[in-house]
Amino acid sequence: MTARADAAGAETDAPGALLTPLSGGTHPPGPPREGTTPPIPPGVEVVIDSVGKVFRRGGRRTVALAGASLRVRAGELVSLLGPSGCGKSTLLRIIAGALPADEGSVTVGGRPVTGPSPDRGMLFQTPMLFGWLTTRDNILFGPRAQRSARRHERDDPELETEAAALLDRVGLAGFAEAFPHELSGGMQHRAAFARALAARPSLLLMDEPFGALDAITRERMHEFLLDLWDQHRITIIFVTHDIEEAILLGDRVAVMGGETPGIGEIIDVPLARPRHALDADTEAFLAAKRRIRASLRN
Amino acid sequence: MSLRNLLPAEDPALTERSGPPSGTGLVPAADQDERADLAAYRRARRRARTRRLGTGALGLAVLAGIWQLAAMLLNDPVFLPSVSQTAASFVHYFNRPYPAQGKPLWFDALTSLRRILIGFTAGTAIGVVLGAAMSASLIVRHLTDPVIEVLRPLPPLAFIPLFIIWLGIGEMPKEVLIMIGVTPIMAVTTVAALDEVPDDLRLCARTLGASRRYTMLRVQIRAALPGILTGMRISMAGAWTSIVAAELIAATTGLGYLIMQAGDYLNTALVFSGIIAIAILGLALDACLRVLLLLADPSRRR
Repeated sequence: MTARADAAGAETDAPGALLTPLSGGTHPPGPPREGTTPPIPPGVEVVIDSVGKVFRRGGRRTVALAGASLRVRAGELVSLLGPSGCGKSTLLRIIAGALPADEGSVTVGGRPVTGPSPDRGMLFQTPMLFGWLTTRDNILFGPRAQRSARRHERDDPELETEAAALLDRVGLAGFAEAFPHELSGGMQHRAAFARALAARPSLLLMDEPFGALDAITRERMHEFLLDLWDQHRITIIFVTHDIEEAILLGDRVAVMGGETPGIGEIIDVPLARPRHALDADTEAFLAAKRRIRASLRN
Repeated sequence: MSLRNLLPAEDPALTERSGPPSGTGLVPAADQDERADLAAYRRARRRARTRRLGTGALGLAVLAGIWQLAAMLLNDPVFLPSVSQTAASFVHYFNRPYPAQGKPLWFDALTSLRRILIGFTAGTAIGVVLGAAMSASLIVRHLTDPVIEVLRPLPPLAFIPLFIIWLGIGEMPKEVLIMIGVTPIMAVTTVAALDEVPDDLRLCARTLGASRRYTMLRVQIRAALPGILTGMRISMAGAWTSIVAAELIAATTGLGYLIMQAGDYLNTALVFSGIIAIAILGLALDACLRVLLLLADPSRRR
């Protein structure tokens, strides 16, 4: 074991946050903490206004989403929780601009959603890294694509510095030249994170991003996400079917499903920030879990 | 698989880590260990690749040994010439015309190669464009799918008499013959490769700020490239089958013609020389495609 690894371990293994419940559990979008290298814009407000979606296939109508409304505050982390088929992924794709809504509207930072945009980053269940690009080139995909749209094909040294900072930020400094298949599962997810952040989103949409990871790696990714969000406070909408994950990460949990697929109860998580994976053993956590389970049964 | 199992424990690359400490404290210690050092990991994979190549060469050597042994036991150069007799014949006729025909071996080899390259290039281009159109438009797909499904199982050789009637006995019918074999395979593999690119990969590129055009060129087509190159390897093998067969039946040049002539004169060593020339050219072209495939898909470099 080397000094570098020890240092990293000591910091992450530090005891979790003090467990004083805070009503509401939300935070104002404060200035980013010191030591944040890449310039990531602050989070924006998301207004989901009675969104509905119907899929038609061969004359059959399937209501995927009906009357879903939710207001996500700027810099807030909201979990969308529900079983398969409750419309949570559909809603996320509507917010991303990948699917048009049949009814209602979504506005992000005051602007209505009409199609995909780099303002709204997305992380998927699999990391979706570009297999033919190194970690650095994956991270630089967004900035380069955006430059190409403005007819600046050439890289400048600023981009290189930013890539290096992001690589360091997600702990992949030694893996800039590695290809995705040379990274472990957790490393691939962190690279996908860095790539999403490099495009400078003010909203991050996460579609069960850690669902395919083993429990231990998933817990590490939770810590990683919490730490990152604590520092940058971008708005995050996190889709999951895991109750504990929804509570641990979210300021609020929007429970989805029921008779019509849509948003049901929205439950505040009374846990203090910054949070830590060990918070899952506290009484407040268990109380929240009982509430959400009851809500899911209705 | 852990890297530690691949490397000796005293490998210096494992003990001295490159790069400064990350200092963010975000990365758990155990995770940093997983792949230890990229350079060492790649070195280990290169060593494994060299070993595999060595084993492959050994397989060929064993085949040549069995051939030589069988030839010595039979002792009948017309029935089975030995490896050394074949090699001597190959060297002898490489730059000397075979009596009945008046062209040296290299000329026939180049003739066959030229036919392959022209037919294969045309067939690949048409097949890839057709496949891309089929993948992009449902109407094109539904229109062309049955046509390809009808044409695909037909052996291209069945068309030889037709091509002679339509196109004469020059180079053109041979090149078209190869094209006819290559195009359907390339169309089918291109469609499959493009379809296999997940929708979410394109969505991902779009959410990173890529335009539709940029996503199409730099993500979808790029992601399909390894599949297209694999299709090219498959159709290249078919192209050799077609051209040699065509030259056996209806040609006055080419390796197929050389083999046929040598067989007629019971020059078995020259028959083998022609076969070996086809094997060498086939291997070389496949090696080119494999290099392209390795360049296109880093995950195959192991």
